Amino acid sequence: MGRNIDTGTAISALIIFISIFFWLLLLSPDQGVVVHYHKTMTGPSTASFKMFIAMNPLSDRMMGWTIMVLAMMLPKLITPVQYIHEHSLKRRRFLSTILFIGGYCIVWILMGLFMNAIILVLGFLLNSSWLPVFIIGSIAIVWQFSPYKQRSLNRGHIHRSLSAFGWESLKDALLYGVEHGIWCVCSGWALMLFPMLLPVGHNMAMLLVTLVMLSEHMEHPQVPCWRLNFRLKLFRIIMAQTKMRLKLVFSPQTQITMR
Amino acid sequence: MQSRSLDDKNSWWFFAAIHGEHISKGTFPGWGLIPGPPAVPTSPLPSRSVRDRYWNQCQHQSWYFPPWHRGYLYALENQIRSSVIALGGPTDWALPYWDYLGPGNQNKLPPAFAEHTLPDGSPNPLYVYARFGPENDSNVYVKIPPISTSCQNETVYTKKNSLWPGYGGPDTGFSHNGGKNGSLESNPHNLVHVQVGGKISPDLWGLMADPGIAALDPIFYLHHCNIDRMWESWNTQVNDNPSDINWLKGPASVGERVFIMPMPGGNTWTYTPEEVDRPYLLDYNYDKLLPVMPRIPRDMIAERFTKLGIKITDGFADMLMDLGEKSELIGANRGSLELSSRGIRTKVVLDKTAFGRTQNSFLEASVTRLPDYVYLQMENVKGGMDANTLEVLVNERPAGYISLFGLRNASNKDGRHGGQGLTFIFDITNIIDELYLEKSLDLDSLDVIILPEDEIPDGLEITVGRIGIYREQQG
Repeated sequence: MGRNIDTGTAISALIIFISIFFWLLLLSPDQGVVVHYHKTMTGPSTASFKMFIAMNPLSDRMMGWTIMVLAMMLPKLITPVQYIHEHSLKRRRFLSTILFIGGYCIVWILMGLFMNAIILVLGFLLNSSWLPVFIIGSIAIVWQFSPYKQRSLNRGHIHRSLSAFGWESLKDALLYGVEHGIWCVCSGWALMLFPMLLPVGHNMAMLLVTLVMLSEHMEHPQVPCWRLNFRLKLFRIIMAQTKMRLKLVFSPQTQITMR
Repeated sequence: MQSRSLDDKNSWWFFAAIHGEHISKGTFPGWGLIPGPPAVPTSPLPSRSVRDRYWNQCQHQSWYFPPWHRGYLYALENQIRSSVIALGGPTDWALPYWDYLGPGNQNKLPPAFAEHTLPDGSPNPLYVYARFGPENDSNVYVKIPPISTSCQNETVYTKKNSLWPGYGGPDTGFSHNGGKNGSLESNPHNLVHVQVGGKISPDLWGLMADPGIAALDPIFYLHHCNIDRMWESWNTQVNDNPSDINWLKGPASVGERVFIMPMPGGNTWTYTPEEVDRPYLLDYNYDKLLPVMPRIPRDMIAERFTKLGIKITDGFADMLMDLGEKSELIGANRGSLELSSRGIRTKVVLDKTAFGRTQNSFLEASVTRLPDYVYLQMENVKGGMDANTLEVLVNERPAGYISLFGLRNASNKDGRHGGQGLTFIFDITNIIDELYLEKSLDLDSLDVIILPEDEIPDGLEITVGRIGIYREQQG
């Protein structure tokens, strides 16, 4: 009797595939709107600020921001989506998943409005300066090892009970996404803001931040406290799995099942 | 070992903390508030790095549950044997097992653990005050039933793509979110823990009834030796352990901590499930294994076929494989539940379309098309005390018992489970079969009753996030 591919694996693969699609979109030459801003050549004044805003429409920036959120955050949603799949009636799985992701993205989009406003103002006042990078970078490092960050990460592991029937099930999926988004924003706001401020190298920084955020999200909840904790689970997995597979290639054991 | 200090890796206290600890907790079950004997130390603490490396390793609700505990027992046995030999005792000293499911009165606590003093009048290190038993009156024994060897009927260690976790526990993958016990862990392991531990007040329960203090009680190790013996008996019944590389290589393969134990002479032993797969790999064996179960799965399936009027032909033996595939939710209750001491009754609604597929599986049942299995899941169960057992009934027919061992830790938002609580699963296929045959299955009123064995104290309410009913298409 043949076996179906593991459902959890199929969900993971699909989400990663969609995330890669958004990454390609994000890194395409037309999508500079996410972090680049067009500069004015005159000094700070009301007129030049108006011109600056006109050259950098918020709608464009928010479109880019949404693509970035989807590219960076979708892999973090694998476990909740698997949870929704398991705990929903078959015919409601897709809609509940969309509502969950929608609720999650709404939180990041609202946060994006605020963050993009900061970025634009800083960009206008401190044209190509490294000062905001230094300040936000320092705050991000402190936040990274704080009990507040750890508490937010812990709450990101909450998977609420979902109603099975009617509007309640759709409402629960949406609220689940919003709740998950709030804790994700609380834990990751500084890491998200940092690459946006970089005058150069933001794409590479965003990729790195994605891996860091994914890795820390994979760690078990821990007691919140001030602690130098690099949360490198993703890297430990990659190292261990690579080592195991290489070992098997060079000394194959037929009784071992590979995934 | 009890005379050694907490920071000595070879001490009784250090070993207990390897399983789990509440040393710094300011209220019971904080180690400093445990009424003796034994007098449990809370200092001197080993360094942070040593604690991070060795303590709180125990594996529960995971397919690593049996192998981690086997290595743990092996390390403790080596520690004790080393001391026994140093004191002039036998060189082949080994940990005994408590065969509580054996004949006669073996379900009673071994007498050596109940005596307050040794023959010479000195305190008995095997005696523990906080061991209150199933009736909470310090009469310690194991109730049979509900405790049983039914788990030995399982044929699959870990089911893939199935809600049912199998014998050894669920594959916890790269992120441990399951909170579901394997059959061996559920019964007898968890039930024995809670029955032996018991409780006498909302602020004081038995050591065995909480993972963070359980390994302080010497009976813990005899209980686990019996669990280890059951695992070996199960393997001897021609059941295989997983061949999946992530099981064989242990949690380090999925980015988690390695299994690590202190050994005599200041040595350290790191191990993987592959290295403790069978006892002979560690050079030990059991004098007696559990007899082969009288009801083998083939007979159980045949029994179901007969009940449902399906003609049995030769081909059905092939269906004894891991058939679990394509699980789906088919019904649930509305809203979360709060359990009081009187228990709770709730109505579970079945979805007409989804349950229709199960009904079709009955209509189309044949020797090559097994009807659906049906499971009941109590999801996101949370509470403040582990020392209780719940009985679940569906349409007033018994679905099973579960013990709440590990519930308090799993309900802690900053604990390993992130406050998710535990999920308990019951196989209610037989009940659904009976209701189907009696034509008494009402889609709107599957009646579920949850009855706690013990009183639930005020402030320590147990909540159930949802009761879900799932079908599992076979093949």
